[in-house]
Amino acid sequence: MNTEKVISGFFFILAMTINFGFVYGDPANLEYHSGYELFAAIVINLIATILKLGDKTQLGSVLLATSLVADIQLIASATVWAFAVYVMGGMNVESTVAVVSLAAGAFIANIVSVTLFIGDTLKSKR
Amino acid sequence: MDNASNNTIWIIIRRMRVPFLVIIVTFSISILGLTLIPGMDDQGHPYKMTFFDAFYFVSYMASTIGFGEAPYTFTYPQRMWVSACIYLTVIGWFYGIGAIVALVQDKRLAREIDIARFRKKIQEIREPFTIILGYNNVTHQIIDWLNREGIRVVVVDKDEAKVEALDLENFIPEVPSLAADVTTPETLKMAGIHQKNCQALVSLFDDDIKNTKIALLARLLNKRIKLVIKSTTQTQSEHLHNLGVRYIEDPFQFISNRMYLALTAPSLWLLEMWTFGHILKVRGRETLPRGKYIICGYGRMGHALERALKKAGMPYSHIDIKSTDYKEEKQSAVFGDAEDYKALLKAGIKEAAAIIAATKDDLINLTILTTAKKLNPKIYTIGRENTLDDLSIFKAARINRVYILEQILAEFTYLFIARPLAYRFVRLLHTKDEAWGHQLVERMHQTLGENPLHFEIPLDEEHAYALHRELSRGRTIRLGEILRSRAERSQPLPAIVLLCKEDEHRIHLLPTDDLELKPGMKLFIAALEESKTDFEYIVNNYYELEYVLTGKG
Repeated sequence: MNTEKVISGFFFILAMTINFGFVYGDPANLEYHSGYELFAAIVINLIATILKLGDKTQLGSVLLATSLVADIQLIASATVWAFAVYVMGGMNVESTVAVVSLAAGAFIANIVSVTLFIGDTLKSKR
Repeated sequence: MDNASNNTIWIIIRRMRVPFLVIIVTFSISILGLTLIPGMDDQGHPYKMTFFDAFYFVSYMASTIGFGEAPYTFTYPQRMWVSACIYLTVIGWFYGIGAIVALVQDKRLAREIDIARFRKKIQEIREPFTIILGYNNVTHQIIDWLNREGIRVVVVDKDEAKVEALDLENFIPEVPSLAADVTTPETLKMAGIHQKNCQALVSLFDDDIKNTKIALLARLLNKRIKLVIKSTTQTQSEHLHNLGVRYIEDPFQFISNRMYLALTAPSLWLLEMWTFGHILKVRGRETLPRGKYIICGYGRMGHALERALKKAGMPYSHIDIKSTDYKEEKQSAVFGDAEDYKALLKAGIKEAAAIIAATKDDLINLTILTTAKKLNPKIYTIGRENTLDDLSIFKAARINRVYILEQILAEFTYLFIARPLAYRFVRLLHTKDEAWGHQLVERMHQTLGENPLHFEIPLDEEHAYALHRELSRGRTIRLGEILRSRAERSQPLPAIVLLCKEDEHRIHLLPTDDLELKPGMKLFIAALEESKTDFEYIVNNYYELEYVLTGKG
């Protein structure tokens, strides 16, 4: 058992599941989407990104790229939220959908990342 | 771009992983805590910080900027949490900053950055360049000359201090340098041996085995480039020949050849020396006397000189002095006690015409020659000087002729790289006889005087624009037709074309006036300063060219 693999695998998958938890539910209704969940998704995604740093292989670069995409999408999602509340004067349907769909995009990037990770793990002999 | 050049970035990224993690975790804990703890606004209503408020507050708190409490004054539970957060996040930041500082001081990183810079510099060189391995007096001289010719140079030396010394020299254009083991293929690749514009590689180490190894590696890595390799033994030279090294520098062989030329064909010797920058006139004390020679020191140089004397049919004797043994035995590097006098007398110093001091020790060489002069004031003295470091002593000692091994190496290397036609000319000289040489020297004296210069010019678009255009159109122009005065075309231009190279196999030594010019030919010309300028005008300018060809224009 490779401890490093366990830790990084844990965070990759956790990033994906928490991200899913936030996205799940009616995209036009903010009551289905918790801010704490988005916060957790951002933090875990950042941690997952850092765990992917420093891997010089081809796969490592692709993993890092997908992770960066997820980060950008999630941070954009949080930024839209803050912008709508403090600058535009409140959430409306349009901004709610934008927040959720940005996070949904990040979720897809996370799926790609986890799929690649699992595929690589299966391919390698022990 | 290959892997090695990104190494720097990867080292930084890998080292920054943990600090980044620490900062993210401490930040997120602090932010989360702030959003959960209830606060009180200025009107006494309870409120909870939003994520944005918390992120904003933690961002400036953690980086120890400190703006006070926002958006409202904190309640006590909030302050308790913030006190904890300050220590948590500040420690996180300090750790991150500390990690960056440690990284900057990291030797491995510094080296990777050096390598990356060196690579970049080499990739940016557009002109042809030469790789020189090892930085010392000889290569310093070579770099100096090549730089003046505008030929770019790259230097690799094992010793970091030497590379730093080179950096301080401030050569213009810049000479990229790197401290690395020169005998590994990685280093040669880093120095750009694969690059299209890499023209030559110079390896002049004292260690023959090292040179051979480098020659072999360089041959395998790049078949096209010229190799300048030093070799001091016969077997070594043969070995290098088999490797296909076109240019092998054996300083002892050079000295032997020059000595032989000077004894048997002084005009040819003069021409060779002229190519290396000597004036075209034999100074009185430069004529080697005929008679008996005494060689002191019977090492590689002694043997080389012996070969020259034997070939020239001069009588000689030798005194076998090994500088290291001598110093050990006598506890001194000064030649000239009673025993040494006896040795000189026994070798026939009284009736000898010349004495050669050829040991590896400069001081012994000097004292041999001064002692010899004491015993026979009329004797002709020839000394070997081993390093370029101290020229003044040898000059002060009034020795008739001094051979400096390093100087000769540097001169030949420079000629071979920067002036391939001049080098060819020197080689061809050795196949000619004294009568031929004498005739040429006379001719040069009559047209050019005693101090002509020489230059090389390829008849291509860049160097001879007008002539190249005309030749490319199919016009027939003969050599004699362009060697005319710009002011009055019936007068010949004071210049002598010594060599004309059509291609590798067709080389004309002293081409006649009716030689038909072709685009791409290269000429090696002896001329005066003004006639060189005139010649360049003629081949580059339509009107000038038309005038000397037809009288019109």
